[in-house]
Amino acid sequence: MGFIMDGLDAEEYDRIYSDWALVKRILGYFKSHLWKMLVVGGVVFLSSVMDLILPVVVSQALDQLQFSPEAFDPIGTSIILGIAASAGWVANMIRQWLSAEAVGDVTFDLREDAFNAVTERDMSFYDQYPTGKVVSRVLSDTQAFSETVRLSINLMSRLLLVVLLIIYLFTVNVNMTWVLMAIIPFIVYTALKFRTVARRTVTNSRRQLATVNAHIQESISGIGVAKAFRREQMIYDEFKTVNQESYEVEKINGFVFGSIFPILVTIAGVGVAAVVWFGINMAQQGVLSVGDWFLFIQGMGMIWFPLTSISSFWSQFQLGLAAGERVFALIDAEALVKQKADEPVDQLEGEIEFVNMDFHYNEGEQVLKEFSLRIRPGETLALVGHTGSGKSSIAKLISRFYEYQGGELLIDGTDIRYFNLSSYRSQLGVVTQTPFLFDGTVMDNIRYGKPEASDEEVIEVANQVGRGDWLVSLQEGLETQVGERGNNLSMGQRQLVAIARVLLQDPAIFILDEATASVDPLTETLIQEGLDTLLGDRTSIVIAHRLSTIQHADRIIVLELGEIIESGSHKSLMDAGGHYATLYDSYFRHQSLEYIERMAG
Amino acid sequence: MNQKSEFSVEGLRDYNRSGPVRWIISHCLEHKLYLFVGLFGFALTYIAFSGARVMFGRGAEIIINGGDAQAVIAVSLAVLILSVSDGLFSLLGSMVMVILSTRVERDSRHELYASLLGKSQTFHDQQRVGDIMARATDDVRQLNFVIHPGIMFIFDMILGFAVPMIYIAAINLELLLAPVIFVICYVFVVRRYMRRLEPVMMQQRMQYGTLSARLEETISGIEIVKVAAQEIEERKKFKRNAWKFRDFFVQQGKIEAAYLPLLMFGIAYGFFFLHCLNMYSRGILSIGDIIAVAGLMQVISFPVFISLFSISMIQLGIAGARRILELIEQRADIDENLEGHGAAVEGAIEFDHVTFKFHGSTVLENVSFTVEPGQTVAIVGQTGSGKSTLTQLVSRTYDVDEGRVLIDGVDVRDWNLDRLRSQMGKIEQDIFLFSRSIADNIAFGVQKATPKEIENAAREAQAHDFIMSFNDGYESEIGERGVTLSGGQRQRLALARAFLRQPRILILDDSTSAIDSATEDEIQKAMRRAQEGRTTILITHRLSQIRWADRIIVLENGRAIANGSHEELLLSSEHYRRIFARYSAVESPIGQLAAGGGA
Repeated sequence: MGFIMDGLDAEEYDRIYSDWALVKRILGYFKSHLWKMLVVGGVVFLSSVMDLILPVVVSQALDQLQFSPEAFDPIGTSIILGIAASAGWVANMIRQWLSAEAVGDVTFDLREDAFNAVTERDMSFYDQYPTGKVVSRVLSDTQAFSETVRLSINLMSRLLLVVLLIIYLFTVNVNMTWVLMAIIPFIVYTALKFRTVARRTVTNSRRQLATVNAHIQESISGIGVAKAFRREQMIYDEFKTVNQESYEVEKINGFVFGSIFPILVTIAGVGVAAVVWFGINMAQQGVLSVGDWFLFIQGMGMIWFPLTSISSFWSQFQLGLAAGERVFALIDAEALVKQKADEPVDQLEGEIEFVNMDFHYNEGEQVLKEFSLRIRPGETLALVGHTGSGKSSIAKLISRFYEYQGGELLIDGTDIRYFNLSSYRSQLGVVTQTPFLFDGTVMDNIRYGKPEASDEEVIEVANQVGRGDWLVSLQEGLETQVGERGNNLSMGQRQLVAIARVLLQDPAIFILDEATASVDPLTETLIQEGLDTLLGDRTSIVIAHRLSTIQHADRIIVLELGEIIESGSHKSLMDAGGHYATLYDSYFRHQSLEYIERMAG
Repeated sequence: MNQKSEFSVEGLRDYNRSGPVRWIISHCLEHKLYLFVGLFGFALTYIAFSGARVMFGRGAEIIINGGDAQAVIAVSLAVLILSVSDGLFSLLGSMVMVILSTRVERDSRHELYASLLGKSQTFHDQQRVGDIMARATDDVRQLNFVIHPGIMFIFDMILGFAVPMIYIAAINLELLLAPVIFVICYVFVVRRYMRRLEPVMMQQRMQYGTLSARLEETISGIEIVKVAAQEIEERKKFKRNAWKFRDFFVQQGKIEAAYLPLLMFGIAYGFFFLHCLNMYSRGILSIGDIIAVAGLMQVISFPVFISLFSISMIQLGIAGARRILELIEQRADIDENLEGHGAAVEGAIEFDHVTFKFHGSTVLENVSFTVEPGQTVAIVGQTGSGKSTLTQLVSRTYDVDEGRVLIDGVDVRDWNLDRLRSQMGKIEQDIFLFSRSIADNIAFGVQKATPKEIENAAREAQAHDFIMSFNDGYESEIGERGVTLSGGQRQRLALARAFLRQPRILILDDSTSAIDSATEDEIQKAMRRAQEGRTTILITHRLSQIRWADRIIVLENGRAIANGSHEELLLSSEHYRRIFARYSAVESPIGQLAAGGGA
């Protein structure tokens, strides 16, 4: 019995599919397994028949034994029983075997489609939806979906058995069958009622468990502080309280879940007693044989459990469909970035021109308005300005992560919307604020953007960054494992890897979003030296946070609310004493040697 | 049993920790009554359930041989009573097991928590919080399932075989032949089945973990994937992983499909029936008896069916118990040294040819330096050069392998640990604040602090102004439901917390960066104030702080390659020169500009 309770929050890209569309689409995934599913259907029927034969043969044997013992063949009967049991088992095995394959394949196909969709979504999609939720759609929802399919096949076989049994029992004795069926509504009602109660207690228990876990999490994370200040007793007392509260709630939840089975057993027990009583009476009137009577008793045992499962299954089925719906919504989510053509890109010069660009992320919150800017090939352009001035948007538009609403963006004079994105982006190099590394070695990561590069090339490039001094601090040099997301490396080392990665890629256009977090002074020096190498003669757009970077820039653009309010070199802008000088005073002054000396003095 | 502990709880029971199964049992035995009532309840359940089957036999006798209305009512009533008590006793047993299992969950979580509090910082430094969390939450949960329904299943298996067989034996001993052979084969076959299934299930779980980790990685790094145009490559990788998972999934399905005990039961049932018929022809059994024993034989099928799930659940639980025990049983290797040196700290620190190894690799090698009371020493070096470890040796979080660390001329190993640590303040790189009010966080280290004292400490740490900018001032909650603080603000709160304690030696791991000059000014002031009148060991990224330290130690791969004042180092250290040279080269004209255009 699966009771998965909490539905996931709906996302904006979710859509409602009609039941028919949903079912059609799901069936589509099973199309390539058609013969398997047909065989599964066949063996489901076969195993149900076999399961039915067992009690019927026993009951008929009992009657024969009573009325015509001389014609009775005990060995033959037992062999039939053995064969029926074996055939049922084999049918069941084939069913599980084939459905495991079919469900495994369908889940795989669904996951593949979902993942392909994931790689196709725009960056705006990922701004909006956190990683965890997308992961859960690709893995957990598909998993829930496949569980449901497996369960459906399983339940179908049980339901079929119940139906066959009842049909057969009707041919034996109509009145007794009605007696048997009288219990069904009670069982279904109890199972449904139980679902409502269980939903409530489970929610409570989860909430309470989360509280305990949060408490443990916090006290373990802060244990150093608690120890340093000798406050163990206080947090211990708090823990005892939440732990006890969780126990109380958990107990109630356990009661609810632990009671359903015994309660249904009791109801079925009453039913059995009724069958016994009515049955003996009918038998005494001569309308029922002893074998048939026994068959009805066994019939009760055979129907109540499947019925319970089926009534509790309905919610599971809905959840499974909903999970499927969520996966399809992810697959069908529409792209906002739309290319008008698919022209492959040759070696770029690196000229970038914004022409009367209008851009916003959300309707009504204009980021760029009639924005025009021309960046010469080979120029190093520093963008400065307060948060929200549009610095990052300019960089992201060049990466073609977002669709703009008006104007044009020309790269080497061609509209960016006409490019084949893959070949265009392979000529872009990007270093983000917190560089992202993939699990693997440093070498793998440097090679990420150019998988065909030889070891020698990687080594050469790595040695160009900060004169290769950073490699010394890596335990195993280029073979060092960076760990999940690069966790084994310091933030500074990750930046160095990212710089080497772009250097190897040798892009025509380089975009740098400088880190704001500080790293140790030596690594900082190495990073700056690495950037000097990288900036070189290629077109570079830098969202600048470091004084030394803006001083090296050919041109500084001061942005405010999406407009260029000043531009020029560091010296000329400082001399002018305008916006840039103010910005300098609030963001860059403390990085200057003059400041360092003054604070030290 | 007597573990070294930094914190002990009264009234916590001792459990048998010599093995996971014994540990679970010793927990259960704390609630003996429930355990036995549970067992009793389930025994009655099976007795009633099987008893009802015997009554079916009686009913059959009445049908065949005739009987009056009274006999019919008697049999029907007996079936009703037995069936209903079957349900009610199993309800009783189940409820009692629920209580038992939630209590064991509660108690073991309690035990684990208390033991975690008692462990030294050494232990906690070595453990990942995530790992401890997994054990304290998932594994403890798993334990609950071991008992309910895990142990219940064990009861089911024992009683579900034993009770009906006793009934069968009571009707005729000879009839035990088929069920006994079946049970023997069953035990044998199930063990083999488990051994086949386990590795596949484990591999499948691990593959799911890999799949999920890789997927999360790709999505987190989607920007890099896109900009490096590696979508196709990532798809291939995902496909490979998803296919591996699919294989394990199918493999598991196939092993489960071939669950032999069900087939064996079917065949055993055939033989059993044949045996009955044979005994009937010999005149030993009546038809009523056959109906009774056929029903009893079917009782046995329940535990056979249920063992498909129960055994793996119990195995999972025992594995969880093992992981929890591992954690509880880990020992601290530094003792409190209650009789040790306990004077007031002056603040002199000396490293005397110190070498320190961690997990076999040398972290610090032959490091020597001295710090006078009240001096500030800055440690400079790349990540992994041993900076943090060096400070941890001062607070005796670890013990040195060679050489000595002396505080006021006394080896730290000869100090009373509590006296030593209580006179030191440490501000970590990752500042931890509790989800409480700001005032509580500042006053965390002292039993009673007046609001005035808290405010003074906050003012000294340059934190008062930003605290007052929050709606609730000092009563503002920190954390998810309260205010979020920037790195600089957190750092100043930690400083305020330290000010309230007045440590003689301050260890400062300052890697906070200020993105604007005004914040930088505030932090600088607070840090400067913190260093006044006390010995300070400083790990910092701020050049100004390095510049003004009395002494600078440059670490590289665990060795102190340079040691001296700023002027001395400019002459002696290549690295050090490189850091400052870069600045001087580009800065010189800027200094004047800043003076003119800035302030």
